[in-house]
Amino acid sequence: MIKARRITQGIFLLVFLFLFIQTESKGADILKTPAKLFLDFDPLLFLATLLSGHTLMKGFLFSLITLAVTALLGRVFCGWVCPLGTLNNLVGALRKWPLKTPTRRWFRVKYLLLVFVAGASLFGMQVVGLFDPLSLLVRSLSLGVYPAANYGVNAAMDAVYRVDARALTASSEPIYNLLKKSVLAFQQPYFLQGSLMTLLLLVILGLNLVERRFWCRYLCPLGALLGLVGRWPFLKRDIAEGCNDCGVCDKDCQGAAAPDKAQGWKASECLYCMNCDDGCPKKKLSWGFSKKGAEEKLDLGRRNVLVAGVSGAAAVAVSRATPAFKETRPNPSLIRPPGALPEPEFLAKCVKCGECMKVCTTNGLQPTAFEAGLEGLWTPMLVPRLGYCEFKCTLCGQVCPTGAIQKLSLEDKQKTRIGTALFDRSRCLPWAQATPCIVCEEMCPVPDKAIWFEIVQSHDRQGNPVELKQPRVDAAKCTGCGACEAKCPIVDQPAVRVTSIGESRSKKNQFLVSSGGYGGY
Amino acid sequence: MERREFIQATAAATAGGLILTQGLTLQAAPVARPDLAVVHGASPEQITRAAVDALGGMRSFIAKGDVVVIKPNIGWDSTPELAANTNPLVVATLVRMALEAGAKKVKVFDRTCNDARRCYVQSGIEAAAKAAGAEVSFVDERKFREVKIPGGVAIQSWPLYAELLEADKIINAPIAKHHGLAKLTLSHKNWMGMMGGDRGKIHQQIDHALVDLSLVIKPCLVLLDAVRILTDHGPKGGNAADVKKLDMVIAGVNQVSVDAYGATLFGRTGADLGYVVNGAKRGLGVMDLSKLNIKKLEA
Repeated sequence: MIKARRITQGIFLLVFLFLFIQTESKGADILKTPAKLFLDFDPLLFLATLLSGHTLMKGFLFSLITLAVTALLGRVFCGWVCPLGTLNNLVGALRKWPLKTPTRRWFRVKYLLLVFVAGASLFGMQVVGLFDPLSLLVRSLSLGVYPAANYGVNAAMDAVYRVDARALTASSEPIYNLLKKSVLAFQQPYFLQGSLMTLLLLVILGLNLVERRFWCRYLCPLGALLGLVGRWPFLKRDIAEGCNDCGVCDKDCQGAAAPDKAQGWKASECLYCMNCDDGCPKKKLSWGFSKKGAEEKLDLGRRNVLVAGVSGAAAVAVSRATPAFKETRPNPSLIRPPGALPEPEFLAKCVKCGECMKVCTTNGLQPTAFEAGLEGLWTPMLVPRLGYCEFKCTLCGQVCPTGAIQKLSLEDKQKTRIGTALFDRSRCLPWAQATPCIVCEEMCPVPDKAIWFEIVQSHDRQGNPVELKQPRVDAAKCTGCGACEAKCPIVDQPAVRVTSIGESRSKKNQFLVSSGGYGGY
Repeated sequence: MERREFIQATAAATAGGLILTQGLTLQAAPVARPDLAVVHGASPEQITRAAVDALGGMRSFIAKGDVVVIKPNIGWDSTPELAANTNPLVVATLVRMALEAGAKKVKVFDRTCNDARRCYVQSGIEAAAKAAGAEVSFVDERKFREVKIPGGVAIQSWPLYAELLEADKIINAPIAKHHGLAKLTLSHKNWMGMMGGDRGKIHQQIDHALVDLSLVIKPCLVLLDAVRILTDHGPKGGNAADVKKLDMVIAGVNQVSVDAYGATLFGRTGADLGYVVNGAKRGLGVMDLSKLNIKKLEA
């Protein structure tokens, strides 16, 4: 069984990584691979979004399959499918474990974390994405590990290329081209807080050397949810007469589920790795289907549950009593991707998985720090200086698993305003330096241009006449895509910058009279 | 020697001799190549072929075994009917003709303004050029090399694409479009697509910088696509209303002359375009159309 399990884990991990790498523009309008497939099967994201956003997502119907399978077979998802589980498993195998490995009594923590997440969700705060294993893994890989891996490979290949020894590049360049076509990113991604994302994943993986499957045993709220659903599985461990309590099964157990205890096996802790079966020297331990009830009661402590739930609810108030939630003072740099719901609903739905940032063609979508408050941590915002919003691209809405970013038609996307560009005349070349420049207007993707010129007859320092095209923004036409800002030759602090004002999704973050009366509080 | 072999050998020798004499007579007879070929017709493929043939055929530009770069405009995330990029059929036809003329390899690339993947796919150029046998690649940032521009007025040195400069032959395949600063973007401005670094800066002295570029990038053939031209809101466009269908291409060997003619498509003259005037002043070509041998054809 171990072999079958390992092969299955390997296949799911490969599929996961394949879909991850394919989450990238190929130049067509529609992404051909189901980038968010694993997230669709995640019932924790489904339930948390249901609680906080009061909506059922079509894609999440898949997660009902996960729940049904778990109810029948236990946490097989954790042991056989979950890619983070598989990585944890691999790292844990790096160490030799002694026969008597003391385990911590912390298994309740993950259930309490689940209750905390549920409490917060109930009051509209979506923190599940911080802890959900699939969100966490996609985010860490997208924003940290994958950019770092790309950087490393590119740097190494560049070094070889720069040596410029023909024999060397003759063999390295074909390899490099193959890598570029298969696993490397089209362009080197750069993410704010990227190193932090890598470190976080490394810590989680490193904990497996303290105790095997540390994350899965003690912290994972999805594991907790599946443990609750899978408390009465039909697939059970059984010990026959003749067991001599040698303890091998307990040593090999991935989940600290006490498989050696004739009556004390913890179904909700078992990861169904089947190590106990294969390892039993006397072949007295076996797996089979039976209808018998749960062997071990799951006692979390009523007080603990209450405290966790109330903390979750209280966290909502703690998070929101900050200026990020003062509606009449929107954050200028919080430029949400096109199709993003109005801020409160957006926050209720975004699970911070990072799919949108991974897929963004220009690398402009970046994780927030505290621009959207603590609860908005690691949600997507456009940083035009790093990458503008490509006018004909709708990929972020296509990969969002919860609909926090709506899937827009190309036509609707091009009408969606995410902010407004405004000029800084003290830095703009035609305004401040009497020097011709039209890059912003040239890049403006609006067919009849949101940037227009006032033609002015001026003169240079020597008094020679100069005709200047001084750019202005037609705010009613600007979509806030940031192409002007991204390409402005004043590269450190552009002379034209986009802020969130005018965004279609907000009634209050407006300044034009034509946009209605909500703006003038 | 067997009889069959003998016949084969004789036939081959005769054919070879014929080709040789034909070649010699072609060289001997002073066929005046027109300065410009302006061809109108419904089929982009046919007018492209006719235009190049009118200048003496692709064989007069491409030698057997040449590595050829064809540089279209693939700068924008836009579809052919919006006339922001060179017509894909024009590009594909040039690729086919270069290969037919014996080119060893034909390469097609451009440093795009919008996302390169979208530009290559949406323009239709990647698919069309590949189908025609070209090697289509994205620009590799490592391959820009600082190139000195002796005699440059605005720019004396700039990183340019090494793969272009290393080619045996270069064909310039721009599209005729409106431009906010240069007024029109024709063949000169197409070479911005081979500039590395922060090329937007050259807009500050565009009319000299474009001429400077032509000092170091020397195409053997220029084919200006005017199947559809963009008359306003260029160079990116996006409005179907700004597109005018002319069903035309202009072929030549001199960028100043080609662009001087290109200006007339928009109701302007070469004298309206600073870089054409500067190019002519610097002795790089003739902008006075009355002094050019222009062959106009229907195809």
